[in-house]
Amino acid sequence: MADYSFNGGIVIKNPYPVSKVEIIQAPLPKKIVLPLQQLGGQAKPCVSVGDYVFTGQVVASTKGSFDVPIHASISGVVLSIDKQVIAHKSGLKSQCITIESDGKDKWLVNKNSGVDFLHYSKQALVEIIQKSGVIGLGGAGFPTHVKMSKVLDCHTLIINGTECEPGVMCDDALMQFHPRDIIRGVEILLHICGAKRAIIAIEDDKQSAYQALSMFNHNDRISINQVPTKYTSGAEKLLIKALLNVEISSGKFAVDEGVICQNIATTKAVFDAVINHKPLVSRIVTVTGDGVKPNNFEVRLGASFKHLISMASPNNKAHDYRMGGMMMGIDVASIDIPIGKTTTAIFVNNQAQKPIVQACIRCGQCSEVCPVGLLPQQLYWYAKSKSIEKALSYNLADCIECACCDYVCPSHIPLANYFSFAKALNKQQTREQDRINTARERFEFREYRLERNKLERAQMMANKKKSLKEKMANEHAQKQKITEAMQRVQQAKDKNDGTNI
Amino acid sequence: MDLFDSVLIFSVLTLILGLVLGYAGVKFKLKGNPLIDQIDAILPQTQCGQCDYPGCRPYAQAIANGEAQINQCPPGGQEGADALAELLGVETLALNAEHGELKPNHVVFVDETVCIGCTLCIQACPVDAFVGASKVMTQVIIDECTGCDLCIPVCPVDCIHVQEIEPALTTFVPNIAKVSQG
Repeated sequence: MADYSFNGGIVIKNPYPVSKVEIIQAPLPKKIVLPLQQLGGQAKPCVSVGDYVFTGQVVASTKGSFDVPIHASISGVVLSIDKQVIAHKSGLKSQCITIESDGKDKWLVNKNSGVDFLHYSKQALVEIIQKSGVIGLGGAGFPTHVKMSKVLDCHTLIINGTECEPGVMCDDALMQFHPRDIIRGVEILLHICGAKRAIIAIEDDKQSAYQALSMFNHNDRISINQVPTKYTSGAEKLLIKALLNVEISSGKFAVDEGVICQNIATTKAVFDAVINHKPLVSRIVTVTGDGVKPNNFEVRLGASFKHLISMASPNNKAHDYRMGGMMMGIDVASIDIPIGKTTTAIFVNNQAQKPIVQACIRCGQCSEVCPVGLLPQQLYWYAKSKSIEKALSYNLADCIECACCDYVCPSHIPLANYFSFAKALNKQQTREQDRINTARERFEFREYRLERNKLERAQMMANKKKSLKEKMANEHAQKQKITEAMQRVQQAKDKNDGTNI
Repeated sequence: MDLFDSVLIFSVLTLILGLVLGYAGVKFKLKGNPLIDQIDAILPQTQCGQCDYPGCRPYAQAIANGEAQINQCPPGGQEGADALAELLGVETLALNAEHGELKPNHVVFVDETVCIGCTLCIQACPVDAFVGASKVMTQVIIDECTGCDLCIPVCPVDCIHVQEIEPALTTFVPNIAKVSQG
């Protein structure tokens, strides 16, 4: 077992342990809400209000090659296409398609299912993955087909089963209950990227998942590695460091080093897309926290948080809700928001007083736990004072916002929030500066153009004047010639007259 | 004799150094005024002319020449005036309300059903953000519009309207006051 590990990170005990990991099929939701915003841009609806759609039908498509189409996750009637609140830390509204279920779950009929994937070319498989709407299901949502087609000379495929967020167990459940599908999914991904080997990384506290996968793995090219249970071992660059002892430098991606990292759930989705020709319409979500009975649910995308939480037998107390993990997740105010492809978990906690934020005492614990070797304390000062350039020089861009620094901070300073704020501010300033530069360029070009027009006009007038003068001079010469000729004629006439008489 | 030597040496030295300095003065002469560029970099490039100059650069020139105050730019806001004060090493001034007020970020768009294609807006736009021609419908390239509003008064049929830029998911920046509470 290769283990090179990485500096920093923290070991957190699972606060909401369960005796047995399960997957419960959630009943069909009455209505679903599908947000159109994706990483690359907004998808365009290709259905209108009142249309009947089948499960798995494309309801919104994208032009670019980056994003994926959006599929209806239930059959029914399109209720509305409008702005609704979605799961985002801004709490802003975004364009969504709402579909009301008819309860029948009629699927769009797929003809060519059950084809051996080995007969497909790499491009064809990547296209199937894109058309099936598969994106990274680990939380970031980076489109899978982009990763698969971007890589050059891929030597290792890493399947990320290190679900390091404490309390989240959706990938654990998937590995325990669908090991065969996952191994097949890995084989498909291996076929596409052409790597020599695949490593499935599992944390060493997930023994049953490890055993289940080992039982179904008969492929020499696939190895299953256990890594120590430590928070942030699931971060792509850190996992690559831990498994291969390869450090991906700042600003570079795993694909630049010939490594592809895919999540367990994504692998399963790839299997469903390629073998079953089923688009991604559902995912497994962990509902946990001290306000509910923790469990995993397979739920259709677009179902509301409320729909799912009601099935986890919540208690009657007032709750705080959080999407994602307890470390990297985001607090959400409302639970009338849809579950998306990247919703790994929902935390339902009894409302509690938040610890009071105190001043930084410069203890330096944050820099000890930072898994990417930054100086959170230094970054904190710069983020707070909005000195973005300084923060960038301290490698703000490399912060993975894992919140390890928050966890250990004795003053309870929300450091990761500050860093995400600083990153957003930096983006905004860059955007603004770009806009200003374009405006300046365009203004200066306009001035130049007007000046040039003026000169051209003056030049034209001068030319005209010159040619007119020449013409007049010519005419003058012509006239003179004529008068001379006339005079000659007159003289000749006069002469003739004289002789005749 | 010693006296003569030192006078000679120093005269020659002065001559050579003088020539070097004279040459450097010609060779490395700064073209234009760098201060104007620095001031121009702070100005918001809206090109709205509210400062009574025909654009941001002319205003920057006027400030550099000491003809204009630093508080005549409403789109730059108080922050802009402060930044100018810091650059120039003078006391900052409150924005002069005579030149207009700070408006929220916005762009303009043409009501296509009303537009008559007079092209007056095209001529008024300082950043060439209009697409159109005589007697055809005209529209604004939203990404190029600076929100200077110069096209609004020249439109004979009042078909140019203001549209505020709303916060979007992709451009969201958290509020620092909320951030600090965790």
